[in-house]
Amino acid sequence: MKDILRLLDLFRPYRGWMLLGTLAAILTLIANVMLMAASGWFLAAMATAGAAGVAMNYFTPAAMIRGSAMLRTGGRYAERLVNHEATFRLIASLRVWFYSHLEPLAPARLQQYHSGDLLSRIRADIDALDNLYVRVLVPVVVALASTLIFGVFLFLFAPVLALTGLIFLLLAGVALPLWSQSRGQAPGRRITEDESELRTAVIDGIQGMAELTVYGVTERQAHRIDDLSRRLVADQARLSSDHGLTLAAVGLCASLSLWVLLWLAIPLVRDGQLMPPLLAMLALFTLASFEAVAPLPQAFQLLGRTLAAARRLFDIVDTEPAVREPPGLSPQPKGFDIAFDRVTFGYPKAARPAVADIVLHIPEGTRAAVIGATGSGKSTLFNLLLRFWAPDSGAIRIGGQDIADFHGDDLRRHIAVVSQHTHLFDATIRENLLIANPDASQGAIEQACRVAQIHDFIAELPEGYDTWVGETGVRMSGGQGRRIAVARALLKDAPILLLDEPTEGLDAATERDLMQALDRLMVGRTVLLITHRPAGLDWVDQVLVLDQGRELAHGDVSVVPQATQAALLAVKP
Amino acid sequence: MSVNNWLKSQRPLAGNALAFTVWLNTANGLLAIVQAWCLAVILNAVIFAGAGLTEIQPWLWSLLGLFALRAAVVWFAERTAFGAAAGVRVALRDRVYRHLQRLGPGYLANQRSGALVETLTKGIDDLEGYYARFLPAMTLTMILPLAILTAVLPMDWLAGLVLMVTAPMIPLFMILIGSGAEARNQRQWKQLARMSAHFLDVIQGLTTLKLFGASRREVKVVAQISDDYRVSTMQVLRIAFLSSAVLEFFATVGIAIVAVFIGFRLYGLALPVPPWLAVPDVTFLQGLFVLMLAPEFYAPLRNLGTQYHARLAAVAAAEQLIQVLEAEPAQSVPGTEPLAAGRPLGVRFESVRFSYEEGRDALQGLDIEIPPGQRIALVGTSGAGKTTVVNLLLGFLTPTGGRILIGEQELSRIDLDDWRRHLAWVPQQPRLFQGSIADNIRLGAPEASLDAVRESARRARADQFIEAPPDGYDSRVGERGAGLSGGQIQRIALARAFLRDAPLVILDEATANLDPESERLVQEGIDDLARDRTLLVVAHRLATVRRADRILVLDQGRIVEQGDHATLAAAHGLYARMIAAYGDAGQGVADLQDRSKGS
Repeated sequence: MKDILRLLDLFRPYRGWMLLGTLAAILTLIANVMLMAASGWFLAAMATAGAAGVAMNYFTPAAMIRGSAMLRTGGRYAERLVNHEATFRLIASLRVWFYSHLEPLAPARLQQYHSGDLLSRIRADIDALDNLYVRVLVPVVVALASTLIFGVFLFLFAPVLALTGLIFLLLAGVALPLWSQSRGQAPGRRITEDESELRTAVIDGIQGMAELTVYGVTERQAHRIDDLSRRLVADQARLSSDHGLTLAAVGLCASLSLWVLLWLAIPLVRDGQLMPPLLAMLALFTLASFEAVAPLPQAFQLLGRTLAAARRLFDIVDTEPAVREPPGLSPQPKGFDIAFDRVTFGYPKAARPAVADIVLHIPEGTRAAVIGATGSGKSTLFNLLLRFWAPDSGAIRIGGQDIADFHGDDLRRHIAVVSQHTHLFDATIRENLLIANPDASQGAIEQACRVAQIHDFIAELPEGYDTWVGETGVRMSGGQGRRIAVARALLKDAPILLLDEPTEGLDAATERDLMQALDRLMVGRTVLLITHRPAGLDWVDQVLVLDQGRELAHGDVSVVPQATQAALLAVKP
Repeated sequence: MSVNNWLKSQRPLAGNALAFTVWLNTANGLLAIVQAWCLAVILNAVIFAGAGLTEIQPWLWSLLGLFALRAAVVWFAERTAFGAAAGVRVALRDRVYRHLQRLGPGYLANQRSGALVETLTKGIDDLEGYYARFLPAMTLTMILPLAILTAVLPMDWLAGLVLMVTAPMIPLFMILIGSGAEARNQRQWKQLARMSAHFLDVIQGLTTLKLFGASRREVKVVAQISDDYRVSTMQVLRIAFLSSAVLEFFATVGIAIVAVFIGFRLYGLALPVPPWLAVPDVTFLQGLFVLMLAPEFYAPLRNLGTQYHARLAAVAAAEQLIQVLEAEPAQSVPGTEPLAAGRPLGVRFESVRFSYEEGRDALQGLDIEIPPGQRIALVGTSGAGKTTVVNLLLGFLTPTGGRILIGEQELSRIDLDDWRRHLAWVPQQPRLFQGSIADNIRLGAPEASLDAVRESARRARADQFIEAPPDGYDSRVGERGAGLSGGQIQRIALARAFLRDAPLVILDEATANLDPESERLVQEGIDDLARDRTLLVVAHRLATVRRADRILVLDQGRIVEQGDHATLAAAHGLYARMIAAYGDAGQGVADLQDRSKGS
């Protein structure tokens, strides 16, 4: 229930559309019932009048039939148009809402999620939410309003008819939906899970096909996908069977309501309490009136699924970002030296801190390197400096200002990163470069690419800067991608430069080119490099050697060999 | 084959369920005719004959029976309809995925995986409406209106005439209006796939966006894409709604004309028809019966109209499916011979040529000799063709010229599955799959015992970090091994290779991304692995290939030098230049290794 209220709150901006859509739906329904009832009465009245040879006014009922026919046609068209427009507006805003909550969580809080899982939340789960409005909210309001109107209408003829009509309407509109909702909950949840699992298996199966093929387990993955596909269908089958049952049951309620009405009304006609033509009208009226409650069972059955989807969205939305943004404006740093002041930090649920008591001062415009093995904590220093995480104790200062006082984006504006994990987007080379600076001119882009030694390569491509970089940059080699990253950093033109194994995985010639590019990039900037390779560091002004999160040595390059060897010896059994 | 015919040709996958659905719905329609007759009789008796409950009781009870019967039929029809579509969906998903497997990684490299994922998941689910609703509805439009006409004509041929005249107007107008919808719907579906691909891209690149302060800018893009999607969807829907409004209009007009014609005759008024037309008389019983059947006459057509968009969605999805299914695997005639060579294996490339696109050769007549049991290293600048050599050897690509020999057997004749059973491969960026660490190590040997898994992990120097957390080998790993470092993932992949116990091992950049400590451990693991096996190491880092028996230097798709480290270093070729360029970086690591070994 709390989830429903939360969702309704999200719907609030669209209540104008929704009100309009619901009104149109009510009008359409009433017009339809009126058409059937009026035709039944018209025929019976004409026949009795004709048989008795008395005159009657057939213009009014004929006009009513015409009017309700037109109202029904136009009303349905308008209702569909308005409600779908409202739904799509709603869904578009929900996507933005979800993304705005997802964005602050990256990367610290999203590591545990498969990207396929997140994709299915932003796509399928949000799409599933439209059920709540079109298939739940609107039908419920329409059913409530029209049941009330129909009850009053029947009451005008005989209270007993109103009573039986209401009983069957309630049975079809309340009892059946509640039943189908409670039945639909478990499979609804399972279907959401099935779909997400199937999607994950398909992503694994497509993106990991090379390895699956070589290791001869393609058959197993195909089986796994087939199994998940069957499981999804089996769970949907249960839901669908219940759907069929409720569909049949609503029809049966309408029929039974008519049947009971005949038993009750026929004696009334005989006693002269009810004009004979009215019986024909009431019979057709009853059958038609159940259209009001027909969509309800399915609506409530879908509710389980919709709420499961909503809960998966709220899971993400309610996650606290790893770093709280400070109130007020970010300060303006007075310079760009970097100071780690007794910084200690441990990841949640980790046994030991990732870094402890780190002290490091990098004067503005100088270069420092942090060396350490995998897991020594050097990447953690970057995560802290970029404010993806916040230190447990101690402080990091840039230009004398504690970075905790900065908004994350304001802080990162001063920092450029070149790392081996640069993501190239499924877009053109130009668009990938413009990420760094959306206002950069073509001249600036080319200049950056020249320095990054990638311009010649791009210029040779038939489409130049408009060449599409394939998904996750598959059509570019590692070295080319890395040089794009350097070009991005140049375009960003930030005073602080972080290098994360920038030449890792490159061949010697490419590495040399890249180092030349980096040399140009580093001029005049405060540079911090993290690496596991102790060699070739003559260009840095100071080195910090880390081991298991603690300082092992600190000084100029000469401290490295001794420290590294000590570390290697230490882990030797 | 047109998309429509393709969709129809998949009907056998639904089995009998489709026919049952049509039969059950036909039965329901016929029962509705009987029900209308019962009701007309009852109302006629009460209104005109002054009958009471006692006289009409038998009719009332039959009516009750009809109600129950129809409810049962509706339920069963719904179940068979679902079953029909479910059969098609399950079978097609399996077939399409398996076809993708046949097309292999070479095909996938040029596709957007996000769009393919969408096709295989949502795209196939979009077929549901076509087989469960549209196809049965289509068949029923040819059965039920005829049945109703048969019942109406003997009662009142004039009403029958009205129905017959108005009915064809409906599909006519629908086609007129709907013809533009098809193309729009295609665009629509493509846009949906693009939207999905874009979201996946944004999610995977969120950290990069954040580093550039662009992640908030992306909010606007998400809003823009979602809004574009709304606008284009509404364009499609407006047409769909308009066509169903037209349909509704004609159906309503038809019913109104029937009602007025019957009513006027019952009252004794002249009808606005030519005088030569002998208008038949009707009784109230006949008139009421016909009036109640009139909506039923249009119902199948109306139903088809509401299912029309289900067909459009299916057509759009089918286009994507056909595109995949019609793609041909690169190797048109798969080999069938079992691998003849024993272990260890020898491999020979004889003037192998390969080009990704016409006129640009990636390999230009490459000759390579990998003798059994030796450790061969392949080095070269990026773009030299190293990856192409590996992909050819793995069977992902087929040479455009020349041949690859395994022992004395041509690779193109060998059953690829059998060939790959004799391979282990550690790619540049190994992928961890959904599941536990043990599952991931077992990838190439699903039957292996936990002891064997531990042993391979130990030999790959991966046991320590795996066994540290409490769950050990049962720890779950996510995509890209969140929580594991590059070096750790690589050692898990190496453990895979150990457990695979294959005579030929291909290591692609196996020691990239490693710190000296991990690199030393992995090197030890590789030395271990190299025993009794043929090893092909593709490397950028020259330090990692020093111990190779022979180093092949690849440049622009040709072998330009070969020999062992000492020989090549002494020569003044590309290798020596690469060493010079690499500087003391590689040397440093090598020195460290030697030093730590010596100590």
